Amino acid sequence: MSQPAIALQSVVKEFPLRRGTAVRALDRFDLQIADGEFVAVLGPSGCGKSTVLRLVAGLDTPSEGTVTIEGARPADLVRGHRLGVAFQEHALLPWASARANVELPWKVAGRPVDTARVDELLELVGLTGFADARPRQLSGGMRQRVAIARALALTPDVLLLDEPFGALDAVTRRRMNLELARIWAEERITTLLVTHDVDEAVLLADRVVVMTGRPGRVRHTESIDFPRPRRTEVTRDPAFHEIVDRLTRLLDESDEPGHSDAAA
Amino acid sequence: MTLAEESERIVRARAAAPVRRPAPRTGGVVRRVVSRYWTIAVLLVGWQLWASLNGYNRIVVPQPGEVVADVVGNSGAYLPDLLATLGMSAAGLLTGMAAGVALAVAVWTSPLVSGMTTPIALIMRSVPVVAMIPVLARVFGYGWQTVLVITTIVSFFPAFVFVAARLRDAPRSTSDVFAVLGASRVTVLRRLLLPHAVPGLLVAFRLTAPSAVLAAMLAEYLMGGRGLGVLFAQSVSFYQPERAWGTALVATVVSVACFVGARAVERRGLARMT
Ligand SMILES: Nc1ncnc2c1ncn2[C@@H]1O[C@H](COP(=O)(O)OP(=O)(O)OP(=O)(O)O)[C@@H](O)[C@H]1O
Ligand SMILES: [Mg+2]
Repeated sequence: MSQPAIALQSVVKEFPLRRGTAVRALDRFDLQIADGEFVAVLGPSGCGKSTVLRLVAGLDTPSEGTVTIEGARPADLVRGHRLGVAFQEHALLPWASARANVELPWKVAGRPVDTARVDELLELVGLTGFADARPRQLSGGMRQRVAIARALALTPDVLLLDEPFGALDAVTRRRMNLELARIWAEERITTLLVTHDVDEAVLLADRVVVMTGRPGRVRHTESIDFPRPRRTEVTRDPAFHEIVDRLTRLLDESDEPGHSDAAA
Repeated sequence: MTLAEESERIVRARAAAPVRRPAPRTGGVVRRVVSRYWTIAVLLVGWQLWASLNGYNRIVVPQPGEVVADVVGNSGAYLPDLLATLGMSAAGLLTGMAAGVALAVAVWTSPLVSGMTTPIALIMRSVPVVAMIPVLARVFGYGWQTVLVITTIVSFFPAFVFVAARLRDAPRSTSDVFAVLGASRVTVLRRLLLPHAVPGLLVAFRLTAPSAVLAAMLAEYLMGGRGLGVLFAQSVSFYQPERAWGTALVATVVSVACFVGARAVERRGLARMT
């Protein structure tokens, strides 16, 4: 691996609270993501997963340590409109159609909208027939798919996903996971996915990083080698379940307070 | 932020309200009209009974029939003043709401502007319009200019307050998306904050439209010139009770119509924007 696409080096993030105290969300957090790699970050609630993603997105700055994307600061990538994000809340514009929402990145960047690409994206997420529907007329899963199409719009160098399916029911979530796996197999963008769903992480990622409880550090890293494109058969593979079980156990232990280091 | 919460609450409640009911059958229409507007009939009958049972002189309380006859029969006497009042209200509503939006944007742009204007806005808002009219009349003269200034002032504050609140409380995740897409402040304002503020403006419009008409009439009544307020003042001093009561009737109908119209606009707008 030459230069990693994304590198976080001994990152500390503290949020100031009242009266001079601070909460330490991340403590010397290290993570490197290679070009074209899909990394999922797993961790118990409140361990700092979203903080990691916000640091990479340039929405926050680290208290200590460095965050670089392609050797530059995240803000530089943002300025070049080369980042795509999707959050747990779809964050779509309620007054705009699905198509207009997908077109937003071009408009924000001041570029002419690539209509062919918009059509292609809507087809990719299976919403060709719903291009003119507004978010309130779409189901939760459809809205998330629009959000993902929007994140992919400008073929970003880096895709950041913060529990994009967190608000969905289990069945829809699984279906969306499989769809994302299919979409990703076509686009192969360097991706950082933050989630607390172990199945989702194992199904989608090349590498899964398990974090400790707060303050978050890397506890364990697991390479996932199932061939792509991954379909629903993968989830029936005993090896899949073995990995899921192991990571779930790690996650349960992470959740217990006072636990610090990994044996694995 | 209580104002933001308040406007958010109103917007939510409005957005949740049904936009259109299925078209009812004719029998349904009659029943709906009766069930909604029976109070008006009761009022008219009560008025009639009150006037005739007490044997009031027609100078004190004219009978509803006479008043309605005057409005319908001499509508030419009302129309120019009605149009003048409506024109003043609409013009004031437009300039006031535009100024409110402009100042809300200015306040959003810079904390300095916010520090300067917000206290002034609050002071002016707590002074009742009636108290302002004599002062403003001194400054702007006893004429239509002052009426316009007053309707503008009345229309200004709700727009300013509700739009400013909405500009400050765009959903965080959407703002984050704009930030990550590399949006400039102008783009955020244009593509996110202003559309997001439209529901606030619609709430302000519903609250303001009837009061703008009332403020126009009040100002006309106190200062003269033209309009329903003047018509009322004149018919009182010339002992034309039917005309005076007729003016009040027209004013009431206009206010109610403004309220109903503004509410319909608000509903449609909210359905479109949320
Ligand atoms: N803006 C902030 N101000 C203060 N504290 C914050 C802020 N953002 C996050 N924190 C704190 O940092 C810690 C990590 O938060 P973060 O949102 O990254 O957790 P998470 O792993 O994403 O949790 P979840 O799975 O519930 O989304 C939490 O304890 C939270 O209280
Ligand atoms: Mg989170």
